[in-house]
Amino acid sequence: MPEINMSKAINNALKHEMERDPDVFILGIDVSGGMMGVTAGLQDQFGENRVRDTPITESAIVGAAVGAAAAGLRPVAELMFVDFIGVAMDQLFNQAAKMRYMFGGKIKIPMVLRTTCGAGMGTAAQHSQSLEAWFMHIPGLKVVMPSTPYDAKGLMISAIRDDNPVVFIENKMLYFTQGEVPEEAYTIPIGSADIKREGEDVTIVATGQMVSRALNAAESASAEGISVEVLDPRSLLPLDEGTLLESVRKTHRMVIVHEEVKNAGSGAEIAATVGEKAFGYLDAPILRVGGPFCPIPFSQKLEAEFIPSEGKILDAIKTVMKS
Amino acid sequence: MKLEKDDLILLYRNMVRTRKLDELTIKGLQEGKVLSFYHSGQGSEGLAVGSAACLRKDDYLWGHHRGHGIGYLIGKGLDGKAFLAEHYGKVTGSCLGISGFHFAEPEYGALGAAGTIGSQFPISLGWGLAAKKTGKQQVVLACFGDGGSNRGTLHEAFNLAAVWKLPIVWLCDNNGMAQYTPIKDTYPKDDIADLAGGYNMPGVVVDGMDIMAVYEAVEAAVDRARAGGGPSLIEAKTARYRSHSEGSPDVSHTVTRSEAEIAELKKRDPIETFKIKLLKQGVLTEEMVDQINKEADEEIIETEKFSLDSPPPEPSILNKLIYAE
Repeated sequence: MPEINMSKAINNALKHEMERDPDVFILGIDVSGGMMGVTAGLQDQFGENRVRDTPITESAIVGAAVGAAAAGLRPVAELMFVDFIGVAMDQLFNQAAKMRYMFGGKIKIPMVLRTTCGAGMGTAAQHSQSLEAWFMHIPGLKVVMPSTPYDAKGLMISAIRDDNPVVFIENKMLYFTQGEVPEEAYTIPIGSADIKREGEDVTIVATGQMVSRALNAAESASAEGISVEVLDPRSLLPLDEGTLLESVRKTHRMVIVHEEVKNAGSGAEIAATVGEKAFGYLDAPILRVGGPFCPIPFSQKLEAEFIPSEGKILDAIKTVMKS
Repeated sequence: MKLEKDDLILLYRNMVRTRKLDELTIKGLQEGKVLSFYHSGQGSEGLAVGSAACLRKDDYLWGHHRGHGIGYLIGKGLDGKAFLAEHYGKVTGSCLGISGFHFAEPEYGALGAAGTIGSQFPISLGWGLAAKKTGKQQVVLACFGDGGSNRGTLHEAFNLAAVWKLPIVWLCDNNGMAQYTPIKDTYPKDDIADLAGGYNMPGVVVDGMDIMAVYEAVEAAVDRARAGGGPSLIEAKTARYRSHSEGSPDVSHTVTRSEAEIAELKKRDPIETFKIKLLKQGVLTEEMVDQINKEADEEIIETEKFSLDSPPPEPSILNKLIYAE
């Protein structure tokens, strides 16, 4: 199986679906060139009507996707940074998420909103956030967050084929990570978690960029005799509760790691779910490792401090093991 | 298209039906049967019916919140049953009673309505893209009020529609009042249509109380859009007879609008002025007018009965509608 990076894997998924379905089209700022190469080369193959460069006009990008989806097309809109969603939020949470329900199920909104999240590139407070919890709170949306090139391709194909609005969040530090990706089209169901490493003593739930750090921390913990299971939800809405609860019932301990600020992040929902449904299985309080409660600083050293490190994850593992 | 005698009579009839349905909805609210907001469209019937008469059934339509868009849908061929039942929260409503005053009628190309004024601007772009792709020469009639014209989304959508030459007719119902604020305090010029020049599209002002003037202006813009000429802006000067929202005081800022002021507005009434014109032309007779009113009254009774007799939606559907399978 060829090894490609995540950017290429998503590009590959878009290409497959655009070849398969003439209703699929892309719109966004400079998508002909493609930020991080994700949409690069697609305009050459599919033309300007199916890979539409837009002005700097986020409300119109998201809203046009909503309207096009309502009218039967399958748009993939790009929001360059998730931080910009504030400009277009009405179109996403009042329109895309609610139209099907409000209109008695008479229409569907099969659109994908691709966007990037995450710190680590020195892009500071308004280009580095992780805001997945905002979207998880809205009935009508789906929220997907891949951590590997393989998952990214399969989830993107599922997202495009899904008849609902899917917010597809790509951590920008992962674009150039390599992984094995089949050349043919395949799907990964939205709402299915993946166990990235099996273990017995503690479950780490990690998303995006945190998955590889959790795996590294698990390796270090293993050297100290702690067997760590790493679970990547891959979709935050819907959340694969079955896999999550099964893992906790096995390990009896849980650490949640995400790059969002810890306060009211996706981990709060995950912890509450386990607290409600598997409390009796827990041998220790659930711990969360997340970004500190502050805007993301620019200066490299401070930015690095913001992102949860392997060391912090390892500390949390050791803490839950003490109980 | 030159309108024949029957077409003119239909325009008149549809305005009468729209007015009577508006009055019925207000009555329903007063009687506690419409448990919702209602934003009366009285004064805008000529604009709604006249503009929608230029559309095909498969054209896209966003009627704005005056009369909750029903005048446009009646102009497009719908009757009032699903509208009123929706406002009664009944399962026979346009959206199974789930939506209430922001409803859609997909079969009639009305794929949206929303509480956030101005959200229609970006969504209309998507409809325009879809229309362009099918190659069936569909157009989008996207309506908004003078209040909606203040939204930033207008700029984003006017700009992109013009850049992409989308088949959209932007239709502004300028009744001079945005909720309780008069336009002199929300817009620095006389005509909203002047915005069009900034986007290199035609912009015209019409008397929105004159249904024929509306029809002619919208028809020209629709023809242009169908032929691939891109978007246009039409501003119709109308009047709002009633308060912004039923049950709320009819004020301009904090000052009550006087009866004399409203009576002045009603001198331009689109239904009365058109009736007089058609009577003079011999298109209508007094007997025909009586007959049209009688039939509209009968329809109203039937519409009310239909809505009253319909059941509310079952709670079990609540979670089934959120996601498409």
